[in-house]
Amino acid sequence: MQEGSANNSGEAVQLLRSVAEQLKMPLTTIARQAELGQLTSDLSMTDLGTIRTHAAAALTLVDSYLLGLQLMREQSELQLEPVSVSSLLVETAHELSGFAKQYNAKLELSIGGKYEPVMAHAQGLKSALLSLGYGLLESYPLLDGGQLTLAVHRTPHGIVTGLYGDFEKLTSDSWRKALALQGQAPRPLTSLSGNGAGLFVAEAILHAMSTRLRVGKHQNQQGLATTLQPSQQLSFV
Amino acid sequence: MSNVLLIEPNAALAHTYVQALQHVGYHVDHVGNAQQAIDAADTNQPDVVVLELQLAVHDGVEFLHEFRSYPEWQNTPVIVNTSLEKNIFSTVQGTLAGDLGVVQVMYKPRTTLEQLLSAVKQHIVAA
Repeated sequence: MQEGSANNSGEAVQLLRSVAEQLKMPLTTIARQAELGQLTSDLSMTDLGTIRTHAAAALTLVDSYLLGLQLMREQSELQLEPVSVSSLLVETAHELSGFAKQYNAKLELSIGGKYEPVMAHAQGLKSALLSLGYGLLESYPLLDGGQLTLAVHRTPHGIVTGLYGDFEKLTSDSWRKALALQGQAPRPLTSLSGNGAGLFVAEAILHAMSTRLRVGKHQNQQGLATTLQPSQQLSFV
Repeated sequence: MSNVLLIEPNAALAHTYVQALQHVGYHVDHVGNAQQAIDAADTNQPDVVVLELQLAVHDGVEFLHEFRSYPEWQNTPVIVNTSLEKNIFSTVQGTLAGDLGVVQVMYKPRTTLEQLLSAVKQHIVAA
């Protein structure tokens, strides 16, 4: 297994440590929101939408971590299946958009064209993209008021999907170093304000699917993306 | 009206803090990173600063070094409210309380709004 993947129990523990650390943020937000109504004696001050959204983000991170562990255990016999990447992105964007609003960010969906199905684990791919989205929104303060794009495009190497934004400080080199530091440093990526656990959970899931999360560009934005292989079987139909 | 400079990178959590601080009558300038914090302090002199240490690019300690380098902000009380556990930044704790003039360190996940408001009130009065 390659550098940066949660390829053994030691790395799985480091990933768990990152997840536990990252969970402080949504749980703290929920706790303080609940307290706000009591403190002000005005229960309408407590925003139930905020509580619901952050609880969903926390649960997604936990579920994604557990799915990542399961996929890693089953990696040798993991059966990938043809997945409609466009449909999966629409579903993912729907789930992420409420969370993006919490961070004053606008989530755009960019699907330019038609794509044949890709070989993937559908639940794994969706969990990876959700974890990536939650991770970036929670830990990248410069997104505030900005735009995050969930996109797919074709390259000679395959069909590339990921999340892009104004992440100019995110480079291949910094991402490579972050993969080595995750679970050990409070901020493996200095461009993030937190530990970015969602990014590393996404990487672990994708690695179990025999692909990786890499720094890439889409139009004039930069972000993290993965390359998926088209389903040869269905592309001839 | 006293002015609170809130340096909190998580916009959703910051929104909650802003609501609580405004509710008890403070003016709040919220920023998400160190550079914005210097700009905000320059525009609107803070009476107290509430700071998360984990900031993107330049962290909270780097911010404090720059902030304290300006004469007009050398005595401004700074409360650290951070998600980091104390053992993670234990090597700089002495510097925080000493040269960097941090008046209180609070562990964010366990700090209620009431405790935060109480600390802000205490240190504005003391200043």
